[in-house]
Amino acid sequence: MSAHPPHKPNVLELFLAALGSPFVIVGEQFREIFKVFGLTVQYALHGRRRWKEVWLQAYRIGNESLVFIVCVAGSLGVTLVYQAGLQAERIIGDLTPLGGLYLQILLREFGPTITALMISTRVGTGIAAEIGSMVVTEQVDALQMSGAHPVEYLVVPRFWASVVMVFCLTCVSVLVSWLAGLLTALLAFGVSPYTFATLSFVIPGDVILLLMKTTAYGIAIPIVAGASGLSAHGGSEGVGWATTQSVVNCSLAVLFLDVLLSGFGYLVLLR
Amino acid sequence: MSAASKQVTHVEVPRDGVRIRCQGVSKYYRRTAVLDAVDLEVRDGTMLGLIGPGAAGKSLLVKIICGLVAPDEGHVFIDDIDVTRLRERELQALRMRLGMVFQNYALFDFMNVGENIALPLRMEGRSSETSIRNRVAEVLEQVALPGIQDKMPRELSGGMKKRVSFVRAVVRRPPIVIYDDPTGGLDPVTSAKIFRLLSDMKAQGTTSITISHDLDGIRPLCDQWLLIEHGKTLFSGDTSAIDQCETPYVRQFWRGEPA
Repeated sequence: MSAHPPHKPNVLELFLAALGSPFVIVGEQFREIFKVFGLTVQYALHGRRRWKEVWLQAYRIGNESLVFIVCVAGSLGVTLVYQAGLQAERIIGDLTPLGGLYLQILLREFGPTITALMISTRVGTGIAAEIGSMVVTEQVDALQMSGAHPVEYLVVPRFWASVVMVFCLTCVSVLVSWLAGLLTALLAFGVSPYTFATLSFVIPGDVILLLMKTTAYGIAIPIVAGASGLSAHGGSEGVGWATTQSVVNCSLAVLFLDVLLSGFGYLVLLR
Repeated sequence: MSAASKQVTHVEVPRDGVRIRCQGVSKYYRRTAVLDAVDLEVRDGTMLGLIGPGAAGKSLLVKIICGLVAPDEGHVFIDDIDVTRLRERELQALRMRLGMVFQNYALFDFMNVGENIALPLRMEGRSSETSIRNRVAEVLEQVALPGIQDKMPRELSGGMKKRVSFVRAVVRRPPIVIYDDPTGGLDPVTSAKIFRLLSDMKAQGTTSITISHDLDGIRPLCDQWLLIEHGKTLFSGDTSAIDQCETPYVRQFWRGEPA
């Protein structure tokens, strides 16, 4: 067999190669994610509308994740309020602001971000494994030969479903965490439930920040997971690689967006 | 549909009659050539037999022809349209003229048989749901699998999957069809049924490329042959030329003689 370089690498590729192979891999993943993002936006705006498939995916993302999200949100509420209550009792001795501040932090941070991290593991892996196994069994090639684009057919319905369901699941998660916190405060510290039913610490900026975060996470999870699935290669090992990559990349995307949006929120919305 | 896509879908058979043409197609994986300057031509209404040992690059070559994989060097023309220069939307439009039977069936496992076969028609967007249902029933009848529309692919045998994969590829009546090992892993009776379907398609004027290891089965069907090994062309020509070829490896492969 003859040996030739397939193409001349560009400046960015040379720079990443100089840094080492892990940077080349990260660069390739970034390129794939942005490519899938661009195609998803293009097909979401101008592609075929497949609302039946969006409903099916919404059911899978939403209903089938509900018990998991409720369990995680409930235990988070119990732990957070118990630990915060212990500290507040020791330092300031007054637990009346606990409920209001807890609701504020739930809306700003824990509600959307913890829910999105849970959805990344529960749903992101599912998307990556499903699309990845379609790639390695040539189903994605068959899809293209049928006249469909894999991003349009596989990622876009999950994208719409995820945007809606991440918001819905976050609302459920906030409610469950809040109720769990309320019960914990009542049973562990004897705090009146009325102190939890206050919106005195919540400002409109908190709700805007929650909406921004849930939308950003809802967009990021199916795109990052879809990109991982579409880059699967080889056999079952490739599907495993794609699934692992999806968990890591989705979690990092959520955390990166959290830092970015929280920074924007504190600078612009919450002043 | 964009103007470019319309141009891609509405093309005539080229004047020289060559519907598929590859010129110097090369593909590299990690600097190693897995396809090395492969040329081929398939004329209208003929069948090319693409043969060679395992891992020779046959499946990769047909994927490059369909625009599923981009070559690193060379050009692929379908009806004089350079596939390697098309954008994704134009490729989608061009693929409406192509059908492909995959080596491992590649049936969509989340769809039933009826939905699998209907998908190419739905993507085309020209037929009503009633006519799609009728067409699906008609093609299943043609391959002796009537009434299995509601079955899932996992409920089918290998031979049935192959026939479903076959009808999915031809349900749009494409003028060009690629068969990637259509009889691989099938018993002789089912293989004979598949070869009869290939023969029927050829009789209807379809231009095709067939990858197969069953040389006895495809010998009567193919007009031209391309033998590749390790991505390199070892033989290209018609049946009489390969019959008379004196190259030891070609003779050995063509006649099935042990090394």
